[in-house]
Amino acid sequence: MDLLLHLAIVIAIYTIFALSLNVEIGYTGLFNFGHVAFFAIGAYTSALLTLSGIPFAVGLLAGLALAGLCGFLLSIPALKLQGDYFGIATLGFGEILRMVVNNEVWLTKGPMGLPGIPRPSLFGVVFDTLPGYLALSGGMALATFAVLSFVVLSPFGRALKAVRDDETAAEILGKNAFRFKIKSFVIGSVFAALAGVLWAHYTTFISPGDFTLTETILVLLIVVMGGKGTFLGPVVGAVVLIFFQESVRFLRLPPEWTRLLGPLQQMVFGLLLIVFMVFRPEGIIREKGGRRGD
Amino acid sequence: MDPISYYLQTALNGVLAGCVYALFAMGLTLIYGVLNFVNFAHGELIMWGAYFLFLFMGEPFGLPLYAALPPALALTGCLGIAMDFSVFRHIRRANRLTLLIAAMGLSVFLRNAAQFFWGAEVRTYGLEVTAGMRILGLTLTTPQIAIIAVTILCVAAVYVLFFKSRLGKSMRALSDNLDLARISGIDTKRAILAAWVISAVLAGIGGILLALDTNLSPEMGVINLIKAFAATLIGGVGNLWGALLGGLLIGLAENLGVLFVSPSYKDGIAFVIMVIILLARPYVIIGERSD
Amino acid sequence: MKKLAALVAVIAVVSTAAAPPARAADTIKIGAAFALSGSIAVYGEGFKKCVDLAVEEINAKGGIKGKKIEIVYEDNKSNPKDCVTAVRKLITVDKVPVIFGPAGSSNFMATAPVAQENKVVLISAQGAAVGLTRAGDYIFRVFPSDTLQGPHLAKLAMSKGYKKVPVMYVNNDWGLGLKNAFVDAYKKMGGTVTDLIPYDEKKTDYRTELLRASKGNPPAIVNLTYINEGAVQFKQAFEMGIKTQWLCGSAARAPKMVELAGKAAEGVIGTYPSVPQNTKAYQAFKEAYKKKYGDDKIPIFGDYNYDMVYLTAKAIEKGGYTADGIRKALPQVAKGYKGVTGDKTFDDERSPKYAEYGIWTVKDGKIEDYKK
Repeated sequence: MDLLLHLAIVIAIYTIFALSLNVEIGYTGLFNFGHVAFFAIGAYTSALLTLSGIPFAVGLLAGLALAGLCGFLLSIPALKLQGDYFGIATLGFGEILRMVVNNEVWLTKGPMGLPGIPRPSLFGVVFDTLPGYLALSGGMALATFAVLSFVVLSPFGRALKAVRDDETAAEILGKNAFRFKIKSFVIGSVFAALAGVLWAHYTTFISPGDFTLTETILVLLIVVMGGKGTFLGPVVGAVVLIFFQESVRFLRLPPEWTRLLGPLQQMVFGLLLIVFMVFRPEGIIREKGGRRGD
Repeated sequence: MDPISYYLQTALNGVLAGCVYALFAMGLTLIYGVLNFVNFAHGELIMWGAYFLFLFMGEPFGLPLYAALPPALALTGCLGIAMDFSVFRHIRRANRLTLLIAAMGLSVFLRNAAQFFWGAEVRTYGLEVTAGMRILGLTLTTPQIAIIAVTILCVAAVYVLFFKSRLGKSMRALSDNLDLARISGIDTKRAILAAWVISAVLAGIGGILLALDTNLSPEMGVINLIKAFAATLIGGVGNLWGALLGGLLIGLAENLGVLFVSPSYKDGIAFVIMVIILLARPYVIIGERSD
Repeated sequence: MKKLAALVAVIAVVSTAAAPPARAADTIKIGAAFALSGSIAVYGEGFKKCVDLAVEEINAKGGIKGKKIEIVYEDNKSNPKDCVTAVRKLITVDKVPVIFGPAGSSNFMATAPVAQENKVVLISAQGAAVGLTRAGDYIFRVFPSDTLQGPHLAKLAMSKGYKKVPVMYVNNDWGLGLKNAFVDAYKKMGGTVTDLIPYDEKKTDYRTELLRASKGNPPAIVNLTYINEGAVQFKQAFEMGIKTQWLCGSAARAPKMVELAGKAAEGVIGTYPSVPQNTKAYQAFKEAYKKKYGDDKIPIFGDYNYDMVYLTAKAIEKGGYTADGIRKALPQVAKGYKGVTGDKTFDDERSPKYAEYGIWTVKDGKIEDYKK
C-alpha cells in the first residue's frame, strides 16, 4: 500500500513537471531542453531556505520566484533563436546550472548533496506521512492543472497556439509573438520549480546527480506520449510512464538480467520517442483541431 | 617545466582536442546543410564508431588496428544510412520539433544499446602505453600525431569532395534549396545518402582517434556532441571551414580554461562560449542559407 | 473514453502485479538495493558476488536456525532517485526488516531517511563519507569513515618527506570528503597544499588537469581518484612524461585499475583501510571466492560486503527477525567480532571503531602492500 502511495506521489510530482513542459512544447512550440534546470532551481532554493529555518511557504514562493526570474532572463536572449538553437541554448543552460550546483560548495554543499530537508508545513499542518504528502502534492497537481487549463483556454492560450502554428500570421495579426513566448516560458519555469520544491521536500535529500539530462528526457517522453498540446496528455503520460517504469521491478527477472535492465529501459524510452514521432506525433490523446502529422 | 612550454603544451592539448571536435562538427554541419535539421544523434555515431573498432579488435575477430579500421568505418557509415532509413526518411517534411524529438529518441536508444552490449565501464583498445616523444620541450604520442595528420587529410578530402566533385555540387545545391534542386534534375536521394555516409564516417574517424588517444565509454558521444554543437555555432552552421575553426577554438578555450579557471568547469567552457555566441549573433548563425 | 478504459485496465494489471507475493515462511529475506545497472554497476556486480558467496556458505551450514537466507536484489540504477524507490519497494512489498544499502554516498544518504522513518535497518558496506550514518539509529556501516583515512594519508606524505603537494580529487561526495580530511590533517602536520584540482568523473581526457598539477615538477602529487579515472590519469601522465610519486586514497586500489592503466600505474602508492590478508579468515575467504568464481581477484570492497552478510546473519540469530531486534543486536554481535576485514566493533555513530590503514602500491602489475 505504501508503495502505491509513494508511486502516486511521484506521479503527482511528475504530472506537474510534465504540465509545465507542455505549456512550452505543446502550446508554444518551444523546445526546452534544459527544463530540469528549473526543477533544480525550485528544489535547491526551497531546500536551502528551509534548512536554514525559514518556513516552508516562504521557501516555496522563493523557489517559484527565482525560477520565474531565471526563466525570464534566459528567455530574452534565447528566444531570438530558431527552434533547434533554442533547444541547444537551453540544454547548455541546464548543464551549466548543474555544474554550478556541483561546484559552488559554499552555497549548495556541492556533490555532498543536502540531507535532512524538513517536511513541509502549511498553516500549522505538517505533511510528514505518505497520505498527507499525497494530499499536498495531489492538491498542488490539481491546482496546477486548473491554473494551466485556465491559462490555455483564455485568449492568451489561443494566441499561444497561433504563435506556435504560424508565427508570421501571428505577427501580422498584431500579436506580439515574442512577448507571448516569454510569458509562456516563464509560466513553464515557475511550475517546473513547483514540482522541484515538492520533490525536494518529499525525498528530504537532493544532490546534483538528481538533475541530469535523463530527467528532461523522461518528462519529455511523458509529454510526447500523453499528447502535447492537450490538457490530459501530461497526466495520462505521467501515469502510464511511471507505472511502466516501476512495474518492471515486479517482473522477478533473474539477477543476471537486471544489469541490463537500466539500459534496456532507456532503449525502450528512446524507441517510444521515435515511434511516436514517426507514427503518431500527436501522442495518445489527440489535440482537438490539431493537424495530424505535424 | 618552464612556463613557456607549460602554456604551449596546454595549447597543444587544446589543438588536439580541437581537431577531434572539428571532425565531429564537420559531420554535424554537413547534415544540417543538406537536410536542414540538427542531428541530435550525431554523438552516437562518434561513440559507435569507436566501439565498432573495439569489436573488430577484440574476440572473435582479433584483427590488428590497421585491419580493423576499414570494417569499423564501413559499419559506422552503414549506421548513418540506417539512421536515415529507419527514422528521418519518414519525417522529412515534418516540423522541426518532430525531427528534434525523434533524433533525441534515437540518441537515447543508441547510447543505451552500447551500454547494453558493452556495459557502462570505460574500455581501452589495450594498446601498449608508451611515453610520448619530446619535441621542443613538448610531449607528443603516436596517436596524437595521427590525430593531427588524419584531421588534415579529412579536411582536404572533404574539401575536394565538396567543392571539386559533381556529388559535392549536388549536395551544395540541396543545401541551398531542396525543391529547386529536385526540379533541376539533381539526384537528391543519392546526395542525401552521400551526406549521411560522409557525416557518419567523419564522426567514426573522430571517435576512433579520440578513443585511441584516451578511452571508450558509452557517454563519450553525448559529451562531445555538445562541443561539436558549440563548434558549429562559432563557425556558422553549414560552413565547413567554420566548423574546423570553431572546433579548434573550443579545444583551446577549454584547455586554457583549466589553467585559469577551475578544471571542474572544463566542460562548461564550451557551453558558455556557445551561449555567448548564440546571444551575440543569433541571426547570423543560420550560416549561408537563404530560406 | 475507450482510451481511459484501456488506461484503467493497464493500472489494474500493474496493481495486481504489485500485490505482495506470499511470503515463504521458511526463508529469511534480506533486501539489497544495489547498483546493478547505471554508472556504478561495475562495482555493484562485484558486491553481489561476495554477498552471494556469504549467503551460500551460511545456507550450506543450515542457515539461521534452520531457515535459509534469501537476498532480494533491487536495482538502484546508480542514481539517488531510483535508490529511494528501490528501498521503498523492499520495505513495503518485500517487507524486509534489514536492507544492504546502495554504494555511493549521495545514493546512500538519499535512502537513509526512508529507512529511518520506516524503522528498517540499513547497512552500508562501502560508504566512507563523513557523517554517512547520522540519519538515525537504524543506519549502520561496516566500512571505516574517511575521517580516519585523511590523517593516515597525510602521515604517509609527511613520512616520505613531501612537505608541499598539489591535490587532485574527483569532484564528488567521496573525493571532496577525503580531500577535506586530508588537507586538515596535512596542514596541522605543517604541510603546504600548493594547488587544489577538482575534476569530473567519467571523462576520457585529463591531460590539462595533469599538466596543471605537475606545474613546477612536484616530487609527489596527491590524487584521490577512482578506478577508471585513475587508470586514465596515470596513463596520460605517463605519456606526458610526468615523473612524480602518486599518492592515492582507497578507491583506486583495484586490479581493474592496473589492468586498464598497464605499466603506467607502476609505483603508485596509496592508503587503504587495510585488511590483514595473512589471517586465516581472509585466506579462507579468498579460497572460497576462487572456488566459486574461478579467479582470485576479489572485487573492491567485496570483503566488506562478505562481512556485512555474516554480521547481519549473526544479529538476526541473536535479536530475531525484526528490525528492532537486529538494530539492538548488531552492536552486541559486532563487539570484538573478527571478520575478514578485521575488528568490526561499532562506535557511537554506528561506524567501525577501529580501522587499520595500510599502504598499497602497484608492483610488477600487481597490487600489493608497500614495503619501505
